[in-house]
Amino acid sequence: MTSQNGLNLDSLRITPETPVGYELQPIKKKAAIQLMGSRVWGRFNPNHWDPDYARSTGLTDPIQTGEMSSAYISEMCVNHFGAAMLKNARIVCKYIASTIANEVIVTGGVITEKTPKGNGFRFRADIWAANEAGEKKTVGWVEADVGV
Amino acid sequence: MNNELKPQSAVQEAQTRAFVGALQQGSQTYWDMVEIGDELSRDLHITPELVILYLDPVEDYNPWYEGWRMNSWHIDGESPFGGAIVPPLLVSHFVLSVQFDHTKPFAIGSIHTFHDSEILEPIPVGATVRITTRAIDKYEKRGRRYVRHEVHVTDTATGMLYFREVRDILSL
Repeated sequence: MTSQNGLNLDSLRITPETPVGYELQPIKKKAAIQLMGSRVWGRFNPNHWDPDYARSTGLTDPIQTGEMSSAYISEMCVNHFGAAMLKNARIVCKYIASTIANEVIVTGGVITEKTPKGNGFRFRADIWAANEAGEKKTVGWVEADVGV
Repeated sequence: MNNELKPQSAVQEAQTRAFVGALQQGSQTYWDMVEIGDELSRDLHITPELVILYLDPVEDYNPWYEGWRMNSWHIDGESPFGGAIVPPLLVSHFVLSVQFDHTKPFAIGSIHTFHDSEILEPIPVGATVRITTRAIDKYEKRGRRYVRHEVHVTDTATGMLYFREVRDILSL
């Protein structure tokens, strides 16, 4: 399926033929304070949505829950691995820096290994989320079975 | 207050200060709340509406997860596994509400720093899962205090193991 901007979404899917070095297509999101403080996400902790409280604890502004960047990375991985991200997959994320309200976050990833398994491969990719200046906020890796 | 990030009227500001004040009452540090070996467990019914509440703030609109849609409301949904399924890391997000003993004031100021998550089987929207957490380590690194938990998520009806995780919390 080719979208109006010319990107073929079906071509994103990782297949047994996908080579090591293949780069995952990014997801881009804005860390909007109104989303960061929603009930299911950061409402329980005012560091995630209240500028006054955040500044009283030494932060410049509220910070996003790390799990929001994991969700962004997960969305990118589902775009590429499809159903393989929902069965026998593994995702590891380390939150190395805070995402500050209003930052724009861009995810990235690159296939680093493919190990034969069954009729296909177990793929491994390095993954990350960074701001637009390239400062990484979350780093980790993901593994999923393709064509197994 | 007329903060650029969060514009509010005087009424909203007063409501915010009251809410934050209530959160702070009686709060302990997470380090002091947890002993190694502590095990906590709760059941979570993953309704279609809960999935939407999780997805909308992260702006993930993948139709595989939709068991609720505006105008139609409850629908079976469609995914490669049949009906609507739960996003890969949704249950990981709700672990926080188990490992932090919900009968006590929340340890505000704690920060989630790491997760190693195994997504073993797809979870159908509508399932009820049991989230069990066990504190397996407390350690200090570069002057900071961390609490490590292991997590298992199973189906309450079938016992199927859906998800496994190790995760760290940085405590004040």
